[in-house]
Amino acid sequence: MATPLPPVVEVDGIVTRFGAKTVHDGVSFSVARGTLAALIGGSGTGKSVLLREIIGLHRPTEGSVRVLGTDMWHAPAADVAAVRRRFGMTFQDGALFSSLTVAQNVAVPLTEHTAVDAAVRDDIVRLRLAQAGLHADDGAKMPSELSGGMRKRAALARALALEPEILFLDEPTSGLDPTTARAFDSLVRSLVDDLGITVFLVTHDLDSLLTVVDRLIVLAAGKVLADGPVRDVVRLDHDWIRSYFSVRTMLGESPRRTDGS
Amino acid sequence: MSDDAAEQRVVLSADGRHLELAGPWRLGELPRIGPALAPLRLQPPLTIDGGRLTALDSAAALALLRTIDAAGVSAEAIEWRGFAAANRRVLDDVLRRRAAMTEPAPRARRRWLAEVGERTTVIYRQGADHLNFLGEATAAFAELLAGPRRLRLRELTAQLEQACLNAIPVVILVTMLIGVVFAYLLGLQAEQYGANIFVVDGVGIGMSREFAPIIVAVIIAGRSGAAFTAQLGSMRLTEEIDAIRTLGLSPMQVLVVPRVLALLIALPLLSFIGLVAGLVGAALVADAMLGIPPAAFADRLHGALDIRHVWAGLIKTPVFALAIAIVGCRMGMHVGRDTRAVGLATTSTVVQSIVSVILLDAAFAVLFQEMGI
Repeated sequence: MATPLPPVVEVDGIVTRFGAKTVHDGVSFSVARGTLAALIGGSGTGKSVLLREIIGLHRPTEGSVRVLGTDMWHAPAADVAAVRRRFGMTFQDGALFSSLTVAQNVAVPLTEHTAVDAAVRDDIVRLRLAQAGLHADDGAKMPSELSGGMRKRAALARALALEPEILFLDEPTSGLDPTTARAFDSLVRSLVDDLGITVFLVTHDLDSLLTVVDRLIVLAAGKVLADGPVRDVVRLDHDWIRSYFSVRTMLGESPRRTDGS
Repeated sequence: MSDDAAEQRVVLSADGRHLELAGPWRLGELPRIGPALAPLRLQPPLTIDGGRLTALDSAAALALLRTIDAAGVSAEAIEWRGFAAANRRVLDDVLRRRAAMTEPAPRARRRWLAEVGERTTVIYRQGADHLNFLGEATAAFAELLAGPRRLRLRELTAQLEQACLNAIPVVILVTMLIGVVFAYLLGLQAEQYGANIFVVDGVGIGMSREFAPIIVAVIIAGRSGAAFTAQLGSMRLTEEIDAIRTLGLSPMQVLVVPRVLALLIALPLLSFIGLVAGLVGAALVADAMLGIPPAAFADRLHGALDIRHVWAGLIKTPVFALAIAIVGCRMGMHVGRDTRAVGLATTSTVVQSIVSVILLDAAFAVLFQEMGI
């Protein structure tokens, strides 16, 4: 995936400490435009914290984060606010506004940040619902009436509202059944291929990793353990990586692994 | 390309058959692109040239397709020309999705009469559910009588601390102020007739029969009733109540009984504290404004305030407590499974329990009247 374009996400020397506990000890990587990158790591390695640091919700102890060229922690607030309009984020449980219908949820960023008139806005909302794989009738539902999979799709539709250049997804397929999860994967893939959106996701879903993801970043012991195309990372000879992907080997489904140990 | 406001985004040939798009076509540009599109008179067969587009996103592509639709040109009759590969993909994506997009079914409009009817049935069902829950709670108390060891003493003491002990300061503050205001207003009237001493009669009977029980019940409805709903509601949200049931325990015994019992104990006690605080407040005003020293106040109170008035006030409080606790617990136990529902239920608990306290008080007034108490 060598692209000449400048990276859209640059994480440089991130150090995160909670009291005496160091979660990140110099994490650096960058993500190029138009890729589908995944961040993996064991529980407690600070994947979600890192994601929150990238999108500007949690201040890292040291280091810098640049999203679309803007330093999320040192640039003026107005610049950061402008960048926020150019990326979308979905949270693990959707984080839909519970007092609004799905359609109203998707319309929130459009009414707040654009000057389009109501008819166009409603049409865009319908397009977003369709892009997220929801039926037009689902727009009238309240978040409490949705299943887990639909909730994630609705959150994706809201994240897509402003046509972001980057999408950050926190465990997009967790809690979904395999069929729904695969459908979500191909949906995300088509956003990258058809709309040219860069996607950065945190996941534990091996199937997502092995089927749709371009690039894998492995976080362990506060550092980036591996970074590269999925098939290269899977081949790496490292205990954690080997055990992480061993489930596949057990099922005899990993033709990508070469070492026979 | 510079982002010039005057820059042409669309150029249409004179015969309306050749449309050229230029510049960035993005969601943020729609307020500029929309007005440029609106006056165009498109004619089939149409050729659309995207060679000078610097960007095209799906929202802008949608706006273009809307205009084409509005002009009555079918999307199949268009020749797309010169689009960069990435823009073409976006366009195809939107074309495909738009073909599959349907108008959502309009939600049925509700008439006011239907609304009134629906609200009425909700209130009716709510009342029936409360009664049902009262029955369940009674059954749980009966179980408790059969096996007193089922009582969760630790939970009961925790609830007593919350609902009773911690409420004492606010109860004293509020009832004392009510006593002050009440004595002052009565004093203004009584002074005109030189009947200062009768203020003690009025305050004594008023505070003990009505003010102390009602004011304290309202405070507890806002404090503990709302807390019960919020606590039980969030426990239901996090499936803790389901876990209790799965572990073979009864949520009624574990959660509801200690709370109901705590309020049954707390409200009479707090009401008595409120009564004393109210009388102290009245005595302060009587001393300062009406020239009745505390000793004379106490002496008059002893003579004028029959003990039956105090009982008439206190006897009501367990009933108020039961109403508050049952409403608070039921609203929490039966809350909908989303965070918004917990907030709504908590608000509803406060309103419902205060209203039921006032209604019960009116019923008691009629009852006491008939009994001649």
